[in-house]
Amino acid sequence: MNPATPMHVLALTLHYAEPPSFSIAEMVLLAVLIVLSLVGFFWRFDRVLRNILTARKDPGFHLAPIGKRVWDFFWEVLCQAKVIRERPLPGLAHAFVFWGFLAFALVSLNHFASGFRLGFLEADGWVGGFYFWFAAIFALLVAVSIAGLFVRRFFVRPIWLGRKVSIESGVIAFLIFALMVTYLAGFLISPASATARGLWWSHALCILVFLPLIPHTKHLHLVLSPITIFLSRGEFSRIPPLNGDEDFGLVNGKDVTQLVALQAYSCVECGRCTEHCPAANTGKVLNPKEIILGVRDYLNDLGPHSEEPLLGKYNSQEAAFQCTTCGACEFQCPVGIEHLPVIIGLRRGAVNTGAWEDDHGTKLFLALERSGNALGMSATERDKFIKKQELPIFDGSQEYCLWLGCMGAYDPQGREIIASFAKVMDYLGTSYGVLKKEKCTGDPVRRLGNDLVFQQLAEQNLEIMKQQKVTKIVTICPHCVRTIAKDWQDYLPEGAASPEIEHHSEFMARYQDRLPITDGPEIVYHDPCYLGRYRGSYDQPREVLARSGRVIDPPRARERSFCCGAGGGLAFLGEESGERVSHVRAKELVDTGASIVGAACPFCNTMFRDALTAISDTPPQLLDIAQIAAQSIANVTPTPPNGAQNV
Amino acid sequence: MKIIVAIKQVPVRDSSLHIDSSGHWIDEDDLSYEINEPDAYALEEALQLKEKHGGEVVALLAGPERGSQTIREALAKGADRAIHIECDDLATLDTLGIASRLAAAIKDEKPDLILTGLQSDDLGLGQTGVVLAELLGIPHATIIMQVEVQGGAGDGSGASAGSGASIKVKRELEDGWFQHVAMPLPALLTIQSGISKLRYATLMGIKKAKTKEVRRVSAGDLPQAAAATVTLERVYLPEKKKETQLIEGSPKEAAAKLVEKLKFEVRVI
Repeated sequence: MNPATPMHVLALTLHYAEPPSFSIAEMVLLAVLIVLSLVGFFWRFDRVLRNILTARKDPGFHLAPIGKRVWDFFWEVLCQAKVIRERPLPGLAHAFVFWGFLAFALVSLNHFASGFRLGFLEADGWVGGFYFWFAAIFALLVAVSIAGLFVRRFFVRPIWLGRKVSIESGVIAFLIFALMVTYLAGFLISPASATARGLWWSHALCILVFLPLIPHTKHLHLVLSPITIFLSRGEFSRIPPLNGDEDFGLVNGKDVTQLVALQAYSCVECGRCTEHCPAANTGKVLNPKEIILGVRDYLNDLGPHSEEPLLGKYNSQEAAFQCTTCGACEFQCPVGIEHLPVIIGLRRGAVNTGAWEDDHGTKLFLALERSGNALGMSATERDKFIKKQELPIFDGSQEYCLWLGCMGAYDPQGREIIASFAKVMDYLGTSYGVLKKEKCTGDPVRRLGNDLVFQQLAEQNLEIMKQQKVTKIVTICPHCVRTIAKDWQDYLPEGAASPEIEHHSEFMARYQDRLPITDGPEIVYHDPCYLGRYRGSYDQPREVLARSGRVIDPPRARERSFCCGAGGGLAFLGEESGERVSHVRAKELVDTGASIVGAACPFCNTMFRDALTAISDTPPQLLDIAQIAAQSIANVTPTPPNGAQNV
Repeated sequence: MKIIVAIKQVPVRDSSLHIDSSGHWIDEDDLSYEINEPDAYALEEALQLKEKHGGEVVALLAGPERGSQTIREALAKGADRAIHIECDDLATLDTLGIASRLAAAIKDEKPDLILTGLQSDDLGLGQTGVVLAELLGIPHATIIMQVEVQGGAGDGSGASAGSGASIKVKRELEDGWFQHVAMPLPALLTIQSGISKLRYATLMGIKKAKTKEVRRVSAGDLPQAAAATVTLERVYLPEKKKETQLIEGSPKEAAAKLVEKLKFEVRVI
């Protein structure tokens, strides 16, 4: 630089420099490169698009309500809310890259337009000048962010990103970085210089090389994931209805639906699902990311019309049946992949066709077919319990039907929870009754993919509900709540209304002002998956517990709660491979030092009962929130003078 | 190999039973029904033999309309077709009566093997299979735990008589003893409960079952069986009686009296 003209240099730095004109040869070259790049992109993208569009239509899919979709798109895509919330630092870095791309859309368009002498942003104009500077701020943020993400991926290397280092990711990170640098450098030079021309071409080439790399790498999520998020199934773990006589779940390529294909191609391989998966964390075969990538590999190799089974080379049956359906994967996924319909879909395919052979599973199915409860006990055992507890029988005159569930009716600890909750309802003066006959809601078979038994149980129960004119149900089991509230809907007779159902934590939280306040010890609360992630009830059980003690959270709580290991029918499937999920979680609970473990699900309760004694010589007391509430009530209720016990 | 499995529909285990007004049978209203448990194992054995040796499994059931539910389950689990003898008078028939109907209904089937449960969960007579074999003039073996096919398995046409195919079976005797018997085909076996792992019915099986053939035979069209030689006098629930005797005397005398009572009155020692 000439030291005599410092003002000129300063003036130059204020403007983004583009070559003032392009020769015809340059324009032809540019046009050829653009065409090549686009052909490269569409040649690869076309196959992906065809695999998605020619796949089977999704039964039961509705675009309505559109408002929720628009909101999800705004919040999760445009605001990057989930990406940032669940992994703040890399999430924010990603958000800057994303917002940077949005800001750059106009700049890039202008870039290529100017190559044909059609540029619309004037670097020294008012609008253009502002916009180039506006984009420059983002360019700086993107450059820093992508450099940070590069360091994370190639040097920090969190195990969730997979053991194999993706070279493509490095190339793409470099391209993005180069894109930003070539842009920012444009502020430091004169438009007329040869450097400006060189920079301009480098910038253009970065984009033109980037484009064809998108369709066959995880960067396809740039194109697809906004659509995936917009076209979600609309609710958590939505299991689609089976369609017609030939639909048995995900058996082969022909069963892969458009949404499943779209989601499989959207996977960005970030591994958040794996990071939070209880199976993947305890040495099982299952890795939710690999399940999705298995479907994608299948589609890439065989397409959506193949009759090759999905379980086999591309996904393992063992893995599919290790899922506790806790939903941590689906909850975490930043690109809108719904893992549960896929995993449960694969199970449906295996169970509905008889391909799954498992002694414990068969025993469960036969028990439900024959005895109507998952524990395979005689229904008379339930009658005896009702009689012994003097539980009123529901006759339509009571406000609530108290649903016992298999655990509440047959499991000794579940029965204690029911007895305690009955005391709470008595104390609150709520009228309730239990059904004379009740069958399993079908939760374990629904999650294991046995549609035949599930349908039978749902229909039999709905018939009982109709006969007994049940309108409001309350129960102690979050699995029953979910299954009755959501999964039965597909089997409702036309015109019939399904009864309202709530969990006892929600019921008690509503009346919390009337529950006694007692000074109690520290209670560590474990969020059951089916109450938390499935239903969003995080505060109610804590509010109930807060009446009886000081509530503390384990390290993984609320939306990130770690499963007890019982869900998805796994409570009935016998010994797990690897470390036990329940032990890992129980250790977390014990390590908080609380003297009471507060549970809100009889399945969690039964898992922790064994796990706590296995890992600690002096385990904390394990109680359901209803037991804790009932205890507080007993403490403040004076024993009648004649010594009779309060029931 | 062509196998016929004779199955019966019985009230679901743990049903609460009530005696009907005639006193000759249980009140069937409000009862749920399922396949007789030993018959479920007979069906499973038949399906496993078919999987090993090929052929056809035919389910055979005598009973009222509600029996079609049990037939459908058998078809769903893998039976190829079924024969339903429609009749409402099962409770009035004796073993010979019911076996005659079964025999008449499969007169033209020429199976290689007939399997049935060793007894029914409701009446528990344990004779139907044996009498059926007698009526068909084929050999039988009871309380079977294992079936092994030897020689050619037959071609599924039921024409095994001359083909030299035979079976080796394992029978359960008392006290942990077993008996191994070689038998020619065709033959009839009554199957012990719990000998294998039952399979579960699948959605695909149920859908396929809809298209499988069920031959309905009206009991009236079958030759009339001889008059029942055994009739049901009365059906009643076990009567609970409680008798408490206090044995007096010194411990030594009381113990001696107790032993005497246990030996000679109750006869348990």
